[in-house]
Amino acid sequence: MKTGIFICHCGHNIKHTIDVKKLSQYFKKYPNVTVSEDYPFVCSEPGQDMIRESIEKQGLDRVLIASCTPSLHGDLFKDLLKKSDLNPFLLRRVSIREHCSWVGDDLEINTEKARRLILAGLYSAAHYVPLEEKVVEVTKSALIVGGGVSGLSAAAFLSKMGMQVYLVEKEAELGGHVRALKNIWPARKDGKEIIDEMVAELAGRKNVEIFTSTTISAFEGFFGNYEVTLATPEGEKKMTAGGVIVAIGFAPFDPIVKPELNYGKDERIITTLEFEERADTLQLPENPRIAILHCVGSRDEQIGKPYCSRVCCINALRVGEAVKNKCKDSYVESFYMDVRAHPRGGEEYFEDTQEKGVLFTRANVAEITPTPAGLVIRGEDTLFGEFFEREFDLVVLSIGMSPPIDNKLMATLFKITLDKDKFFLEAHIKLRPFDTAVKGIFIAGSCSGPKDVEESINHGRASAVKLFGFLNLGYAFVDPFISSVDPKRCSGCRMCETACVAKAIKFDEAKRVVHVEEAACMGCGLCNSTCPSSAISLKGSIDMMIDDEISALTEAI
Amino acid sequence: MLEQSQTRVLTCIQCGKCTGGCPEAGKTPFNIRMLVRKRQFKSSIDENIPWYCTSCGACTIRCPRDVKPSEMIIEMRSSFVEDGDIPVSIQKALENTSVQRNPWGRSRAKRGAWVEKLGFEVPHVSETTSKRLLFTCCIQAYDPRCMVIPVNVATILNKGGLEFGILGEEEACCGNEIRRIGESGLFEELQEENIAAFKEYGVQEIITLSPHCMNTLKKEYGELGIKVTHYTEIVAEMIKEGKIVPKAPYAKKVIYHDPCFLGKQNGIFDEPRSILKAIDGLELLEFSRSRETSLCCEGGGGRMFCEVETTYQRNSEVRVIEAIEKGAEVMATSCPFCVMTLEDPATEKGLAVKELSEILMEVI
Repeated sequence: MKTGIFICHCGHNIKHTIDVKKLSQYFKKYPNVTVSEDYPFVCSEPGQDMIRESIEKQGLDRVLIASCTPSLHGDLFKDLLKKSDLNPFLLRRVSIREHCSWVGDDLEINTEKARRLILAGLYSAAHYVPLEEKVVEVTKSALIVGGGVSGLSAAAFLSKMGMQVYLVEKEAELGGHVRALKNIWPARKDGKEIIDEMVAELAGRKNVEIFTSTTISAFEGFFGNYEVTLATPEGEKKMTAGGVIVAIGFAPFDPIVKPELNYGKDERIITTLEFEERADTLQLPENPRIAILHCVGSRDEQIGKPYCSRVCCINALRVGEAVKNKCKDSYVESFYMDVRAHPRGGEEYFEDTQEKGVLFTRANVAEITPTPAGLVIRGEDTLFGEFFEREFDLVVLSIGMSPPIDNKLMATLFKITLDKDKFFLEAHIKLRPFDTAVKGIFIAGSCSGPKDVEESINHGRASAVKLFGFLNLGYAFVDPFISSVDPKRCSGCRMCETACVAKAIKFDEAKRVVHVEEAACMGCGLCNSTCPSSAISLKGSIDMMIDDEISALTEAI
Repeated sequence: MLEQSQTRVLTCIQCGKCTGGCPEAGKTPFNIRMLVRKRQFKSSIDENIPWYCTSCGACTIRCPRDVKPSEMIIEMRSSFVEDGDIPVSIQKALENTSVQRNPWGRSRAKRGAWVEKLGFEVPHVSETTSKRLLFTCCIQAYDPRCMVIPVNVATILNKGGLEFGILGEEEACCGNEIRRIGESGLFEELQEENIAAFKEYGVQEIITLSPHCMNTLKKEYGELGIKVTHYTEIVAEMIKEGKIVPKAPYAKKVIYHDPCFLGKQNGIFDEPRSILKAIDGLELLEFSRSRETSLCCEGGGGRMFCEVETTYQRNSEVRVIEAIEKGAEVMATSCPFCVMTLEDPATEKGLAVKELSEILMEVI
């Protein structure tokens, strides 16, 4: 075994708190270490040349680079190995910057820690074997689940880029909840208009197939070639899709679960969505008294909705504005906990609404009691510190967004995790906000948490861009870190089968052992850690590596 | 269980949902939202203030941050109880409970005396095969107005062919009010004593007569493996099964008042109503504030044992006025405390207040 160790100074970043010279000298004496050098910037061109030269001249079969975090320059060094005809999976990165030099400033302690980190890497790398990245052919087509604004926006982008798009909508009509909205702020357009524009864009495209009144009856296969079965009104349809965008939206909160509001028991108590539908036909006295309640179905632990739904404050402002525009002398009072008019221009919109005469009272209304004369609202004006009872002709509940009705069904079908509020959970809230844990399956719009129209459109488009990047070449690389089973150790207990989220573990009834379907395995390691017989190991990350690393890190000083 | 964690209090967003639904808000100096705010900053409060709370639970049920304001009040009271800084009548009720195991200080030996008014024998629960206990409750064991309730219910259950027994003088106060007064030590004593009796006699099921007893036995006694019900649940079921048949008509307009501990705190709304609806000729009316929004009669949370400082229109009077406006001839309820608080203004205004079992006794 011929290992080359390259220790980076990273300018002063590493050098000023780690004795790099001492370390490079120290590792020279190690058996199996052929080269041990330190260099100002290993990532620079001369630095790369040095490594390449060592590989070629000394015939290195392992390369250990002790420098910055592995996530930085990962591909750069991998490519370097490839160029030098060395398998890129024989590279070991050790972070002595983020994990060491940046953390402490005691030269002696840091040097010792760096020594142990490098030693652990060295021990581990001894178990490395060449691995091959798999290339899979992918179908350049996308299944988009949900025909609301996010789904439509994703479909528009992908079809424009020439990708085959299958857009599936459960309802008879495209457009989701947005279709029903009137005078959407800040666009000042009706939802129907926005939806019609988006649908019109798709209309002429031959590579778009739209299925309305359709549900998904089966979904199988792996990234790049998912097998989809649809239940359409015309019968069953089958197709192959390279990837999926799940954009199934939200469910409007049903205030019936808050009995103190008496929703559903009196037709003068309506939701913001019902107000959109009925605004023109409402039977109201000449100068009506209208109450608007914020945060109905949001920020409420009692009903398991502790989150802010983000859109309802603006909706409440829209209701107030609509009433005031129609009837200047109406009495409109908005009851709020906080006004969170968060989008750009929202605060100004709030101000405009106040100028129009909508009164804002800081109170979370406790009860609504319907009486023949009017609806009695009971609460406390928390700024005056005074209890009040006031009578209104109409109460509009500004309802929040609840997770979509089909969340559990879709989560099972596409292996998406649900968050604590039962919305879809993204792979990483900041770094991978569109991805799910399964490759090629993305989420878009309010199914991953409350979003307004603009955000949903952007989210849909962003997911589409990500999916396009995955499929556009017609082939894709798949990590070789997959599980394999040692049939001699497997007891056939099938615990791994239950643990596997990718359904990649298959049980052989005849042999009474399991095996891994390589194409389906995502390399998450769940089977690995579940197996009581240690029969499963993950390629590129075997138990012995970890054991040896630990022994290096903990060996007596 | 007895401690309200300060961390929940710190999460209060001062939205006012608690005060808005509080039966004491607006008419008394009691502002529950303000008290939570003061608690967050550990500010001192007037010693008289916490005693306004009726423990109706509306604030705790609705609080969007799950602060449990009514539990916080109990904590506030306990520190006053510890310092002995409490109304004399409350102190008396606690002493009485400590000695006689009932807040009125009546002789413990007489706790089972009400059975003498029955035309049949009620066995000790240990002698029953079902090990079904009828839990009397202090006010119903001693108060002349309320003593009729256990007598009625026992008669009705007996007619329906249900076997049950009592604990007699071995029964101690359930402690529901004691806990809410803030005497957690005494509450635990009562709890231990009752649990020991339940265990000794192998009690399998408890039928309570007061929603207050039901509440604490069900929710605050821990996992006993004993089924706890309110008698209205049992009777409603018996009527459904035809075991009890209301035969005589009762041609009156009856308005039903939901007790807080039965209704909003334990979700029993339909059973008492179904009993009333089963009675021929009875027209059931509803308050504008009924079920989850029922207005508290102000009998709970120790208010039975103390008079607050200010004079104001009592909720019982508000209730009676609305009942009369709606044309009710009888106001029905299913809690002894509600009967006691509602009856004063009702008698004055010429309205009858009846515990549900009283109406039922007239028709079966």
